[in-house]
Amino acid sequence: MRKSSSYLPWLSILIAFLLILFLPISEHKVHLATRILIFSLYAVAFNILFGMTGLLSLGSALFYGFGAYVTGMLTKSYGGDYFVYLLILGSISAFILAIPLGLLCLRLTDVYFTMLTFAFGQLVWGVCIKLYNFTGGDDGIQGIPRMALLETTKSYYIFVFIIVFISLIFLWRLASSPFGLVLNGIRQNRNRITFLGMNVYKHQLLAFLISAFFTGLAGGLYSGLDGSIHPNMFFWTQSGSIILMVILGGINNFFGPVVGTIIFILLEDYIGKTTEYWPFFLGTIMLIMVIIFPKGIVGILTRFLKGPQTKKELANGSHS
Amino acid sequence: MKKQFKKLFLFLFSLFFVAQGYAAEVVKIGALYPMSGRGGLYGKDSEAAIKIALDEVHKKGLPKGIKLDVIIIDDQSKPDYAVSVAKRYITEDNVKFLFGVVSSSVALAVTEVSKNNKVIFVGTDHAATDLTANKFQPYYFRASNNTFQSMMAGAMYLKELKGWKKIAYIGPDYAYGRDQWMELKYALDKLGVKYEVVGEYWPKLYEPDYTSYITAIINAKPDILVAGFWGGDTVAFIKQAKAYGLFNKMKYFHPDAGGNYEVMAALGKEMPEGLIMSARHHVNWPDTSENKTFVQKFYKATGRYPSYAAEGAYAGILLIAEAIRKVGNADNTEALVKAMEGMKLRLPEDPKGFTSYIDPKTHQIVQVQAIGVTKKNNKFPPAEVMLGDFKVYDANKLWPDFKYIEYLKKAKK
Amino acid sequence: MDVSFLISQFVGGLSTAMLLFLVASGLSLIFGVGKVFNFAHGSFYLLGSYLAFQFINFFNNFWIGVICAILGAGMFGVVMEFLFLRRIYGRSEEVSFQILLTYSFILIIDDMVKYIWGPEYKTIEKPASLIDQLQLGGVLIPKYSIFILILGFVIVVTFWFILNRTEMGKVIKATAIDRDMLSLLGVNVPLVMTLIFGVATAMGGLAGALAAPLRTVTPGAGIEVIIDSLIVIVLGGLGNFWGALLGAIIIGEVVAFGILWVPQWASLLNFLVMVLVLILKPEGLFPQKKSGRV
Repeated sequence: MRKSSSYLPWLSILIAFLLILFLPISEHKVHLATRILIFSLYAVAFNILFGMTGLLSLGSALFYGFGAYVTGMLTKSYGGDYFVYLLILGSISAFILAIPLGLLCLRLTDVYFTMLTFAFGQLVWGVCIKLYNFTGGDDGIQGIPRMALLETTKSYYIFVFIIVFISLIFLWRLASSPFGLVLNGIRQNRNRITFLGMNVYKHQLLAFLISAFFTGLAGGLYSGLDGSIHPNMFFWTQSGSIILMVILGGINNFFGPVVGTIIFILLEDYIGKTTEYWPFFLGTIMLIMVIIFPKGIVGILTRFLKGPQTKKELANGSHS
Repeated sequence: MKKQFKKLFLFLFSLFFVAQGYAAEVVKIGALYPMSGRGGLYGKDSEAAIKIALDEVHKKGLPKGIKLDVIIIDDQSKPDYAVSVAKRYITEDNVKFLFGVVSSSVALAVTEVSKNNKVIFVGTDHAATDLTANKFQPYYFRASNNTFQSMMAGAMYLKELKGWKKIAYIGPDYAYGRDQWMELKYALDKLGVKYEVVGEYWPKLYEPDYTSYITAIINAKPDILVAGFWGGDTVAFIKQAKAYGLFNKMKYFHPDAGGNYEVMAALGKEMPEGLIMSARHHVNWPDTSENKTFVQKFYKATGRYPSYAAEGAYAGILLIAEAIRKVGNADNTEALVKAMEGMKLRLPEDPKGFTSYIDPKTHQIVQVQAIGVTKKNNKFPPAEVMLGDFKVYDANKLWPDFKYIEYLKKAKK
Repeated sequence: MDVSFLISQFVGGLSTAMLLFLVASGLSLIFGVGKVFNFAHGSFYLLGSYLAFQFINFFNNFWIGVICAILGAGMFGVVMEFLFLRRIYGRSEEVSFQILLTYSFILIIDDMVKYIWGPEYKTIEKPASLIDQLQLGGVLIPKYSIFILILGFVIVVTFWFILNRTEMGKVIKATAIDRDMLSLLGVNVPLVMTLIFGVATAMGGLAGALAAPLRTVTPGAGIEVIIDSLIVIVLGGLGNFWGALLGAIIIGEVVAFGILWVPQWASLLNFLVMVLVLILKPEGLFPQKKSGRV
């Protein structure tokens, strides 16, 4: 049923992966690529809520940090050999934590939802700093071991790639499943979904939980990357920068967040090393993008590749 | 395939270019400082001081004509970003030293990179005692005081002060604020000083409004209020507390960062007299030619007087240069570490008859601490009030304190 | 704990609240009434502080400096709305573009301020007439706090009056409900939006200028105040000035008394209040009246 062009993004991701693996590039670039992968997963998981369901959460860092802390702290005490299991445990705990929070937050709509997720995120951030005997406070925790197999930067990169790739495929299938279509419907007109006899709240909750699970997974992966975790991972600016990445790439396309992440991290890296006035240049570039690319970078790309959009696509918000 | 062929190729390739150009003469130092936001001032001051130090070092010359090249990048005060930059420094720019860092949480993340890659990290600004105590690692050195040194000196001052009993504390609610209070209490206990705590207040970092804290403190009626703020928070607190007449009702004691020049400059005429404060470097003490020259050079370069951060960065560059002189090159990291251990450095903040040195066991610089009282003094505008009547505390009594390190290990696991 | 202490604690909380409200009021106007989420509101606060610093030193007069800061911030706001924000109205995902666009202004304004005025802290002295304190009963209150308290009430009353009792207020409120319909009625909607935005950012500038004598003027201060302002206007219910005032007072007082009993948790109290309010009253304390289609 799918057009062959819809596999193009997957192909490009694979090629990029192989290029990075076999080109003679520095360890830092591999590290950078790993960061991009992890944040891509985080961004796509976030976009399940935002771009698909229409829920803007300013507390996504809560699950990111929670996954990172559960995985990181347990790995630190049980040793690197259990890392993979603890990674899954971290995601599951983010999922479980999301149940009560989702039940509470989803009773609210619009900006009130945003602000309640924000408040919960900040509370958990504060508690993490307060329980310094347990979490290390704002000093964070360093020296989290990795299993022997994943010790080098490259092997960890491969590991992260496999996990992220599988997760993305899962989320992609999810997005085009009937469930995904319902989520889209909720964003466009929640009343219509109710009229069709479906429960908006339940669907939103499930999206919230799935998003939390993969966000937690991304956090767990990051705890293994640098071997250090810190409460900044819970802070609202973390949620905020993910929002920026997603919008930059385009929220109406499954791969938009991935593109946004790549651009944002590369820009940050490049401008950051070029000038101390990086905020000015980053801000200016973002400003230009907002004005020129109304559908994010991916919006422009798809238009460029596919030619003018069909009427049907426009009507559907061009979600692939 | 641990060492991939391609990596080797790249290495040889880059070596070829390096050999063509400036050969083994340039030693790169990768510095991380905040350059924007609240901490930006410390980054900019450190940058200026690094330039001054490099001029002096190059004028005197290094073995084999080595030249130091310092790259400075904004760490955005974010640990994960700082780690990424540190990795680039090591694997792309081939730096021999990591350098700087204002925020302790960033430093704790970067010191991991230093340890794993066996690259020396010279800290110049962050003050968390942990780094040279319970979280010590052999490639880390610090060219500025830790909070314990300030607090030990503070406790000695309080012991001499007499005539007080009730004490209260206010400090930002994060590790820096909390550690200072723990250390001060530890030091007071160690010196056998009796005291009664009548209040602890923990506003958030960057709290804009202290009004409720101030009225609560005044009501608690302490004899001494100990403060653990830094930078802009000190300025805001003093401005707001002055409006309530807090300083007429109790002594204000701020031994780690209260006496920073940037605070004096920001407050101008509004800085009350009689506050007891200190800083890691004073522009008006000691009255030595080294200090005067340093302060004047800085003023000439930037048009303002240096905050404490400048002297730390200056000391860090001198430390690296001296180590290279002693070893003869910058290639052997282990030899550089050995050279730095116990290294003596004549610094602007050293009074006559004392030379700062690196404690070989903890890699912490050992320096005297001078605590003063605010007095009218308009020699360093825009400040109109500066510290005076300094009391000086013997460096060797402040650090190292191995009992405290044991205590810290237990307290922080 | 004697009564005069409790009163002084209450008044302390109130003056904290009033500054919070001053910062938040502009955000409340633009977010609640104009339906534009201006993440960069804190940057106009920052701009106000620096402009006040510049002009107070230039004219050597506090009040002229404050007025210049208000005008300067407002003008900058008008330019930003006219050149940039206006272009994204009506896009399908307008809110996300608002976030991105205003966030980029946070970065730009912050760096601009650092470039123009340097990284070091700036200071503004209080006007001579407001330097000392008043002794009311056993309670000591700085005159400057009294000034802020009075000004806050004047602002809330003025805006309530304009929004609810004048023709202009009706137009502004209608902008929030249906811009298309309004423009069919012959109202120059873009002009109204520009004006609302200008007034809101001018209020940000006012807050920055008046807070400067009590705080530190430093790059980065803008992003710090935006969070507290958001909490305040969400607590009160969007677009409701009285609600924002009440929200500010609640936050101020909870912190003022909270630090007496749970000093260790002071920094979390405002988030705790927000969670509780939003769970118990999901639309804030004063929900906006739903009039017509939203």
